[in-house]
Amino acid sequence: MRTRALLMLLFAGILSGTSALAQQKQIEFEEYSLKNGLHVILHEDHSTPIVAVTAMYHVGSKNENPERTGMAHFFEHLLFEGSENIGRGEFSRYVENAGGVLNANTTNDRTFYYEVLPSNQLELGLWLESERMLHAKVENEGIETQREVVKEEKRQRMDNQPYGNLLSETMKRAYQDHPYQWPVIGSMEHLNAAQEDEFIDFYKTFYVPNNAVLSIAGDIDIEETKKLIKQYFSGIPKGENEVPRPDIVEPKKTEEVRDTIWGDDQLPMIVQAYHIPAQGEDEFYAVSMLNKLMSDGESSRLNRAVVEEKELALYAGAFSFPLEDPGVTLAFALANMGVDPKEVEDAMNEEFVKAQQEMITEQELAKVKNQIENDFISSNSSVAGIAESLANYHMYYGDANLINTEIERYLAVTREDILNAAKKYYQPENRVVLYFLFDEEAANSMEQ
Amino acid sequence: MKILKYTLILMSAVLMACAPKVDRSTAPEPGPAPDISLGNYETFKLDNGLNVIVVQNDKLPRVSYRLTVDRDPIMEGPKAGFVGFAGDLLKAGTENRSKAQIDEAVDFMGASLSTYSTGMSGSCLKKHSEELLELMNDILLNPTFPEEELEKVRKQTLSGLASAKTSADQISGNITRAMTYSLQHPYGEQQTEKTTEAITREDLVAYYKTFFRPNISYLVVVGDISAEEAKSQANKYFGEWEMAEVPELEYPTPIPPKENKVAFVPLRGAVQSVISITQPVDLAPGHPDAIATSVMNSILGGGVFGGRLMQNLREDKAFTYGARSSLITDELVGRFQAGASVRNEVTDSAITEFLYEIERLTLETVEDTTLRFIKNYMNGSFARSLESPQTIARFALNIERYNLPKDYYATYLTKLEAVTKEDILRVAQRYIMPNNLYITVVGNKDEVADKLVRFAGSGEVDFYDMYGQPYTDMEAAPEGMTASDVFAMYYDAVGGADKLKDVNSVIEQGKMITGPTQLDYERKVKGNNKMSMSVMMGGQALMQQVVNGDQGSSSQMGQSQPMTEDQILEAKMQMNMLAFESLDQYNMTAELKGITNVNDQRVYVVDMMKGGEVTSTNYFSVETGLMTGSESTQETPQGDITVGTTIREYMTVMDLKFPSYIVQSVGPQTIEVKLDEIQINRRINDSEFKVN
Repeated sequence: MRTRALLMLLFAGILSGTSALAQQKQIEFEEYSLKNGLHVILHEDHSTPIVAVTAMYHVGSKNENPERTGMAHFFEHLLFEGSENIGRGEFSRYVENAGGVLNANTTNDRTFYYEVLPSNQLELGLWLESERMLHAKVENEGIETQREVVKEEKRQRMDNQPYGNLLSETMKRAYQDHPYQWPVIGSMEHLNAAQEDEFIDFYKTFYVPNNAVLSIAGDIDIEETKKLIKQYFSGIPKGENEVPRPDIVEPKKTEEVRDTIWGDDQLPMIVQAYHIPAQGEDEFYAVSMLNKLMSDGESSRLNRAVVEEKELALYAGAFSFPLEDPGVTLAFALANMGVDPKEVEDAMNEEFVKAQQEMITEQELAKVKNQIENDFISSNSSVAGIAESLANYHMYYGDANLINTEIERYLAVTREDILNAAKKYYQPENRVVLYFLFDEEAANSMEQ
Repeated sequence: MKILKYTLILMSAVLMACAPKVDRSTAPEPGPAPDISLGNYETFKLDNGLNVIVVQNDKLPRVSYRLTVDRDPIMEGPKAGFVGFAGDLLKAGTENRSKAQIDEAVDFMGASLSTYSTGMSGSCLKKHSEELLELMNDILLNPTFPEEELEKVRKQTLSGLASAKTSADQISGNITRAMTYSLQHPYGEQQTEKTTEAITREDLVAYYKTFFRPNISYLVVVGDISAEEAKSQANKYFGEWEMAEVPELEYPTPIPPKENKVAFVPLRGAVQSVISITQPVDLAPGHPDAIATSVMNSILGGGVFGGRLMQNLREDKAFTYGARSSLITDELVGRFQAGASVRNEVTDSAITEFLYEIERLTLETVEDTTLRFIKNYMNGSFARSLESPQTIARFALNIERYNLPKDYYATYLTKLEAVTKEDILRVAQRYIMPNNLYITVVGNKDEVADKLVRFAGSGEVDFYDMYGQPYTDMEAAPEGMTASDVFAMYYDAVGGADKLKDVNSVIEQGKMITGPTQLDYERKVKGNNKMSMSVMMGGQALMQQVVNGDQGSSSQMGQSQPMTEDQILEAKMQMNMLAFESLDQYNMTAELKGITNVNDQRVYVVDMMKGGEVTSTNYFSVETGLMTGSESTQETPQGDITVGTTIREYMTVMDLKFPSYIVQSVGPQTIEVKLDEIQINRRINDSEFKVN
């Protein structure tokens, strides 16, 4: 259905974080660190003759100078521009010429690069990633081109997209002090103002082996791969600068923030952002399971009540935004035409209040656990996904084996835990509420 | 000492072994190519004609069932959308289960189940497969299409259509289909609010009963399951599905436009243009040219970052975040398409580059290195795709559905390798028509549209709405209504044509206000051919205009000059209160264009034309019949200017209504004429109309 596609597009970025893995078949892996601090994780799987070579850097938008937002994401673009041994634009050429694909993405917390190659091209992947880490080209020519490309990306993903400002407007109000307040894509003014030496400094600070995880999965021979990794990566010097990590603690919220955003999107969108614990904490799992009960599948509580029974909205759901520092649950609904947004919000609140007053049923807990089991098993279906999960688990939790065991943390959650989490976090003073409403005048004035 | 020396030697040897020098200056050579083997599949047919394909893969303890009803495309017409609704509503209730029960059962297993117009698809952990199939069986054989669920889906769809109005990408999809295939083709017709409203439950039931039949369908089973198990499940859950004759449908093949056509959909406030350049292509899946055209498309922009469009438009010019092309093969009619989202100011430059790259395919053979590069890439894509067991299932389904040779995919890489650069040029010349393209753009009309004229063979940009209908700001006037009817309404509104005929003279007196300046205004009209107008300041004439028969003069600050014939005729038309009834006298014609909103008032729009050119656009209130204003283009030495006129008030004199408060605007400047008094049928001496 039309609307579903729209929402999937809109929230794909948000949802992709909640992956979880099964214990059905253990994911075997080896891990070790090089002297320069680079952490290496290897997983061997010969079922298809391909290999995923990935590098994850522990830098995201939260590491940025508030006057230079967008730098982390900008680097994701810039670092395809080439290196001392790779000419401009040749990065992708090498990969595609080998029959591979490559891409990268940036979140608030980390930047991730990957190539999926035919397995006989493993060494090519290692060469490329080591070139990127050792001496990427950080120069004005590439900076200028990518500035324009990033501006187009912003126009395409935010300005020209229905509700494209949803996340930025929400996070800006949810966080006063913490850097999660600005969007990953950042400010175009900041990027315009940044000078070449600032880019070089950013590279030297964050793109160092002691701030990275090299995770490789697929049709490889582990011993052979270790040898190659040593050749390509052990000579890369450790970073000289200390890697800055923000230690800003967002103060506890004491009153609800409420606002209306006028724009040219026709249907009202109701967004609530509740502050929740950081990913990996016990209560985070309880919150995530509550959100699953609220949103996963057509029998989920919000869908059943708000969409099916009251027919107030096209879509309603709530999702934990997994972040390294305390994040948010985003609850949102896209109202049906002509429906009062307040009525939609009331219907959503009713469901949250119910979760605070009554324990969920045994049947519901069993359902959510079954859904989690299914997600876990399904998420190990590609070598690229496995490589990314291993890197994530190591980077955030220092325990790559969570790829096999994190499910236990979910399954340990009790009905009481869920009730307590609902009571503790789904409170009015702990949230931002935004209505995105259609405004004829705003739409018209945009035209001028 | 000796020991130390020995240790040093040993250590340096160790160090060398640890970090052997690697040549970073060139890319490492690949190892020997790995074998690429395709997984197997099995097929069998049930007694009711259902084709079953099984792909066994026990890597994960999962299984999926996809049922495809292989019917011909359906032209839905005035109820466009009903086929999709039927698909949506399949799982909205059965004779045994409510929708809520179905949803709960699916979610409880952690399974997924979706239904659509051409079938359904479910997947789950192996241990739940019998329960999932039990549900699928019920949905397939006993759907009830409940009215209330239909209303729910209708409501949601209408909301979805409303929200799509601001989605440039969705609108681009609509217009691309509407142009490529035309609105009179199943692939091009559009679901609108109107067609959505027209759908009934009976439409859904009839569709389901006619087309959901096993003898035209395929069941594809993939996962941790043997062919034997799959066979017994298929028989148990799909065996009682009854076969029946299904109609075959045919459609005329869409043809490309005679010359490049620019189709523009205005989108308010757009900061980017979504460009989609497209043409129909007559190419069925598995056609001998299919692989060569696929290579050709990849060279242009099919997924490869190193494709020409991406390199040119993004990496070289930074016009866009991404530029791509696609070539869809289809049994009925395929499509070639290339597009990108680009910022407003480079829309025309981007189209130039698109057209350059498209035409270049048909003019030159590709470089050997490019061809090698693309083949390598496609080779790798093929290998990577095999990671998913669904790929083997898709291959199997294509082989069965399109009657491809059994080894079509097994020999794919060999066929790919055999494609030559001459093949590429040949298929480009055969299938791509650089001068017969639809260039569709969704974007900011004011900032972009004018610059696209040069791409249109017709010399004009054609505008469309979001559903591919010719665009106008107007709604249609009631059927059969003409400009004369609007004029008749107008005359009735001001007091009646009969009474107007009895008006012999009019004297208007009032103020002309421009900025802080107030001037005295007077206009006298006698009969249909004498008029005198003057604007005075402190008793001194600033402006005067006099018409008397065929003569006329106008003077400003005492400088007088004769009026041209056209000016005299126009002035005469203005003094004739019944001029709309005798337009040919003034060489004019009128045309009713429709109904629109001006200043929050619904008005009829009537164009006045002279020699086929629109000289003014006039507005008449739908509610009162009174004229509310006009827009006309005036020639000046500085070029054409548009003069807007708004009639703010009418004054009633002897049961007749006369405009008494008129505001004219030229750009930011306005001139108001506010009458204090109107006298009719007072005797006016002929000497008042003396032409200088």
